[in-house]
Amino acid sequence: MLGFVLQRLWQAAIVVIAMSALVFCGVYAVGNPIDVLISPDATQDIRAAVIAQYGLDQPLWRQYFAFLGRIVEGDFGRSLVYSIPVSELILTRLPATLELTLAAVLFASLVGIPIGMYAGYRPHSLVSRAIMAISILGFSVPTFWFGLMLIMVFAVQCGCMPAGGRGETVNLFGVDFSFLTGDGFAHLVLPALNLALFKFSLMIRLARAGTRELMLSDTVKFARAAGLSEFTVLSRHVLRLISIPLVTVFGLELGSTLAFAVVTETIFSWPGLGKLIIDSITSLDRPVMVAYLMLVALLFIVINLIVDLTYALLDPRLRKGRA
Amino acid sequence: MTETTSAPLLEVTNLKTWFPSGRGEIKAVDGVSFSLAPGEVLGLVGESGSGKSITGFSIIGLIDEPGRIVEGSIRLEGRELIGLPPHELRAIRGKTISMVFQDPMMTLNPVLSIGTQIKLALEAHENISAADARERAIKALAQVRISEPERKVDFFPHQFSGGMRQRVAIAIALLHRPKLIICDEPTTALDVSIQAEILTEMKELVAELGTALIWISHDLAVVSSLADRVAVMRSGKIVEIGPALGVLTRPQHDYTKALLDALPSRAKPGQLLLRGSGIADAAPPPRKSTTLNLPPLGSPYLVVDNAMKRFEKPAGLFRSLAIKSGIAQPLPVVQAVDGVTITLKRGEVLGLVGESGSGKSTLGRMAAGITVPTSGTIRLNGRPVMSEGRNARKITTRIQTIFQDPFASLNGRMRIGDIIAEGPLAHKLVSRAEALVYVKEWLAAVGLDPTFANRFPHQFSGGQRQRIAIARALAMQPDVIVCDEPVASLDVSIQAQIINLLIRLRAELDLSLIFISHDLSVVRHLCDRVAIMYRGKIVEEGVASTIYADPQHDYTRRLLAAVPVLPEAAE
Repeated sequence: MLGFVLQRLWQAAIVVIAMSALVFCGVYAVGNPIDVLISPDATQDIRAAVIAQYGLDQPLWRQYFAFLGRIVEGDFGRSLVYSIPVSELILTRLPATLELTLAAVLFASLVGIPIGMYAGYRPHSLVSRAIMAISILGFSVPTFWFGLMLIMVFAVQCGCMPAGGRGETVNLFGVDFSFLTGDGFAHLVLPALNLALFKFSLMIRLARAGTRELMLSDTVKFARAAGLSEFTVLSRHVLRLISIPLVTVFGLELGSTLAFAVVTETIFSWPGLGKLIIDSITSLDRPVMVAYLMLVALLFIVINLIVDLTYALLDPRLRKGRA
Repeated sequence: MTETTSAPLLEVTNLKTWFPSGRGEIKAVDGVSFSLAPGEVLGLVGESGSGKSITGFSIIGLIDEPGRIVEGSIRLEGRELIGLPPHELRAIRGKTISMVFQDPMMTLNPVLSIGTQIKLALEAHENISAADARERAIKALAQVRISEPERKVDFFPHQFSGGMRQRVAIAIALLHRPKLIICDEPTTALDVSIQAEILTEMKELVAELGTALIWISHDLAVVSSLADRVAVMRSGKIVEIGPALGVLTRPQHDYTKALLDALPSRAKPGQLLLRGSGIADAAPPPRKSTTLNLPPLGSPYLVVDNAMKRFEKPAGLFRSLAIKSGIAQPLPVVQAVDGVTITLKRGEVLGLVGESGSGKSTLGRMAAGITVPTSGTIRLNGRPVMSEGRNARKITTRIQTIFQDPFASLNGRMRIGDIIAEGPLAHKLVSRAEALVYVKEWLAAVGLDPTFANRFPHQFSGGQRQRIAIARALAMQPDVIVCDEPVASLDVSIQAQIINLLIRLRAELDLSLIFISHDLSVVRHLCDRVAIMYRGKIVEEGVASTIYADPQHDYTRRLLAAVPVLPEAAE
């Protein structure tokens, strides 16, 4: 097991380094930040001084290594727009996105998987057909439209839900949480639902397909022949067996939602990372973009590592040989 | 084996289980009646599709959708089971009637420990604490002769061998001391010696616990070694039922006779089997390439010299560093074939016998030029079969292979004609213009309708597919064919047809065959010489009749003793 973890960490390190080079070169190619930083009527001397101050007169590789050195020290630079350290800026926005994403993905899994399993267990019943119709809808309805509809119905027409913002938050361990207050929770529901819709449909489909296949397997037949109740068969045998593909998708979806919740955050004015990155791209705020992309890469790597470790936990066959 | 007079444990009357399909009802079980006394063992025999498994599933109430029992009655100790509400049926399953399935790889849940699976089965019928459940699980494992049950109870299925897994399944079936166990081909997926062990243990357990048994199998010999009575099924009906010895030695029904006649163990070696030999197939097309200098029949032809095959696990970066610095042990190496030297004479049939994992298939694949040996040489008529160098590959078309599974070895998206013509076209044995005629000639030669050429593999039965696979191999005009368990997945009557086909073609085409099989009776019937493989080595080799009559090596003796034998037919 230790060898396996070490191996994965080693791979992760390589990915992070490769990612940093890609991100750095990619962002370097976009526009010229000096045009944003100083007024167009500044003298050539001031211009040269600013360029030197930011190290932009150095060759690319030297800039890259300087950048790496700063990262190692935990310094992502200052935002060109907000003039505060980037790490601070991101840390104020990250909890909001994390909260929204986790709420969405957990809802999608905790509700979607049981519903999907039911649809796979009774594939021909009317309820199952209705579930499948809903999931197709969930796949095909564009997120922004569904978000607007949610706001129109629940916030505008019946007025029972807030239309945007985080609402009242509680500060726990130095981080703001919405879901712990009634008002904050109400603010969380609609954006989380909106973000969950696609994942919800995906979980339903996956759980259904897996369950449907397994219900015909000898494992299930044998469990039934031993007199196990249908609930035990589903909860102890089937759920464990379909959980590996589910965990894979859960991990991938968690990562991509964390990184790209932009649309939902924009519609519901959710003060998360998605809005921050869009703003920084339009204003060519290089340090923010770089730090954000590095963070996303890191999140994906961490999530995948956890997913891989979960595999070994779920499937004893994978533990063997790596122990 | 005496007729019991006590009240029947199970009484099945006129049972009909049908499956609606697009083309009307499929009558899987169509009017089956029998009764079973307490403690009696009934063998239910038939070929695939005869309805024997569906009969078993009907009794335990586990018919897959959309199948249903349309008529009849199943009485367990006088209580009607058909029409019982699901929860009452569930209370009977596992408690009074339990079931063991064919493939222990598929029945046990791979992600739950054995202990957990036994616990779930216990909890299904009683309230039991975790500690008690564990205690019971250990006892249950000990009962089915699993050593160190205290340790093994925490194992997962993949840590057991096939035979051990089947023992675990039997332990689960026995947990609540059921009155009846239905065994659906429980030893079919196992090696002969393990099958023999399980059969013996099953006999003892049944006698000890007084459990009645319905033993479903396609193998008459297995059934005869265990059953008090035998029922022979065909097309959903029981055609003959009676005391085991009577049915197997003095069969009354034509179908039972035909089944027995199709067994190679009943026929004289080398002769055509009675069943499936009736069709006078077309003669194979003439050989086109006669440029090769073929040695006379009986002289050494394919020579395997000190062939060795090792399978190594690739080590990752950290592990290889650790191995180099001496921290970790190198990963285990599988020595599949360990220095085998063997000669196939021209025109001879050489049988390669052994249990799974003995290396017989790997040896066959090396001889056929599919697998590159780690060391050693394989020569056909003095010329190497494989090219030299790093990327060694087969350089002759004169050796072809027939594989075990005709479902997996034919590409489902290609037409039969294209499948057969592919090789000959690639090697310019035939021109594109003549290809169709050529294919049709070979289809006729293996006893198939030549117009089948434009069909797809899924439109054929297992036996027909194996014929197609044979036609594909023969169309390459080989001298040597390596047959890797070609009849293992086929029913006895189909098996007889394929064996007859091989006997006939061998004579007509002067073929030399390497015939790999775990079935000793088939090997004796077909082969001139036999080599017994054990753990990658050939432990005994010689003329077939001599080896069967007078085995020298210990392992050969054990192997032969493990084969269930049918009682001799009364003359």
